[in-house]
Amino acid sequence: MTNASARPTPFAKAIETDYRNRSATNAMQSAAYDRYGRLGLPNRRVEGWKWSDFSAALRGDAPANDAAPVETIPPSPFATLEPLEIQIVDGRVLAPDAARLEGFEFGVIEPGAPDQDFDNHSLVALNIALTRRAFGFRVAGGAIIDRAVHIRHINKRPGYVFSQILGRAEEGSRVTIIETFEGCATFHSAMHHLSVYKGAEVSRYVLHDADADAVTHGFFGGMVGEDARFRQTSLSTGGRLCRHETHLLYPAAIGFSDVAGAALVAGDRHSDFTTQVRFRAPGGEARQLHKGVASKKGRNVFQGKFHVERAAQKTDAKMTANALLLSDGAEANHKPELEIYADDVECAHGSTVGALDDDALFYLRQRGLSEGEARALLIEAFAGEVIDGIDDAGVRDVFAARVAAWLEEQQ
Amino acid sequence: MLKIDDLHVAVGPEDNRAEIIRGLTLEVPAGEVHAIMGPNGSGKSTLSYAVAGRDGYEATAGAVTLEGEDILGLDPNERAAKGLFLSFQHPMEIPGVQTMNFIRTAMNAQRKARGEDEISAADFIRLVREKAKLVGLDDAKLKRPFNVGFSGGEKKRMEMLQLAMFEPRFAIMDETDSGLDIDALKMVGEVVNALRGPDRGFLVITHYQRLLEYIRPDRVHVLAGGRIVKSGGASLAAELEKSGYEQFIEAA
Repeated sequence: MTNASARPTPFAKAIETDYRNRSATNAMQSAAYDRYGRLGLPNRRVEGWKWSDFSAALRGDAPANDAAPVETIPPSPFATLEPLEIQIVDGRVLAPDAARLEGFEFGVIEPGAPDQDFDNHSLVALNIALTRRAFGFRVAGGAIIDRAVHIRHINKRPGYVFSQILGRAEEGSRVTIIETFEGCATFHSAMHHLSVYKGAEVSRYVLHDADADAVTHGFFGGMVGEDARFRQTSLSTGGRLCRHETHLLYPAAIGFSDVAGAALVAGDRHSDFTTQVRFRAPGGEARQLHKGVASKKGRNVFQGKFHVERAAQKTDAKMTANALLLSDGAEANHKPELEIYADDVECAHGSTVGALDDDALFYLRQRGLSEGEARALLIEAFAGEVIDGIDDAGVRDVFAARVAAWLEEQQ
Repeated sequence: MLKIDDLHVAVGPEDNRAEIIRGLTLEVPAGEVHAIMGPNGSGKSTLSYAVAGRDGYEATAGAVTLEGEDILGLDPNERAAKGLFLSFQHPMEIPGVQTMNFIRTAMNAQRKARGEDEISAADFIRLVREKAKLVGLDDAKLKRPFNVGFSGGEKKRMEMLQLAMFEPRFAIMDETDSGLDIDALKMVGEVVNALRGPDRGFLVITHYQRLLEYIRPDRVHVLAGGRIVKSGGASLAAELEKSGYEQFIEAA
């Protein structure tokens, strides 16, 4: 580790013990563990981690050892959509045995590793080394899955949690995946790898609605195949340190992705959306929109990168990040990046940071809205651009309701 | 009805405040329409903001009462609930805010503040359709986010739609005529004239006489240098159109 000479933190000790106590590790896991050992936890001095320092966040005391009493799992806000519900509770996959979904195979499987090269990512290495069992799914070629699949990450007690989802949407298939992050772990590393093959369409909705103390690292690695379409909408209310990464690779021609995220952070919560799209073949298209609202001492981070390789001519990629700061102590950090090696592409990024518009506020108040109501309406409108982009009306309603509830909480 | 007494308003940053309204006195009795005309920079918009209660436009001295009640201490929304309506000179686009939802929310907020029942969804839809037709806005426009992509004229129609729906007791119309063609001016005249009545008052702020051909004022006041420098009957507007504001700029 980078600070090998320093006294090991409770986190480092727990990780070490966890790894040593395993009955069996494969070559991939031991290589990943060594890699993590070399890299250490990412800290603010490492490129890309300046605003989200996991090393600092995990320096604290070890979580209390006594298991919390078993609680019932709260009903999910998506229950009315009657999705196929999979629970990953404190990292353990609870897949319903009886449930069947035509064209959708799933089960508990051996953990794996991303297809892409993330060798310098220490949290990915740590996840590969320590995840015990993964949730795996396969959408059969041509299958159109009408029922949404809802994967709930539920953390019920303090501890270090590692989980994996490994999925594939085969040629011409279509599926909707909802992922929610609930509760609180001392640290939760959630990795999700999904390959979207030729002509397939995947919609992924992520609702991060965890406790204020949650420290989360979500890592999504997606392969967008030829003529495949991937759409993602995320809503996060942050936590002590919550980062969701989305990495997309376009290995084949004319892939499409639309990645949108809204973050609403109050108190001293922190949300980080980091995205990277790597175009390796011609004609790829990508849209990214990020809307961050921060009040009190909340902090939003957005880092977005388009990496266009030489072969990826006619790439069309646009990225927009807007931040709204509701108080003096609130913070927004944006880092849009373009790295382009092809000469015939259209890539653009835009970034704005501001407060609520005084003219609009006065207008609304002149029409009868109180200051609180006027502010709430404008904040809702700001985040609404992300929420309104959700195609699925049922999912959109749940997201919109969460935004409305958040605004209520701020009154 | 609306009584402004020796009003002083200063605007600008704390360390560099400029007094724009300098001892303005004006009374619009119930049932009357008064016009305020004046050159650019005379304080017309500052006056409307101060009366409506915009932050940064607080009165430094003087009084404003609506039906005898001091309104200077009230929030803008409280003034709105008392029946004060401002038609904005430059209505803004508010992306993401659904037009119908906003107007209904505003309407119900005012009703609630007055202790009245909320308007039902059905009644609201009926009312908004009827008034939209009156001001010449089609349904598709009502489904758009508020004023987004509207022309200047359409934004003014949206102001008139709200005026017609809210039926305020007192309306200030801040250069509603700017950017309007003849048909739109006629429409504004129709909306205002239909609302004219013994319990309602209007203050029409304008630069030109032409709107006053459609809304015949009971009194015309000339605002220059932050105060009323001349008052007269409807014919004063025509006179001003001929002689211009030069004389008043010097006088102020």
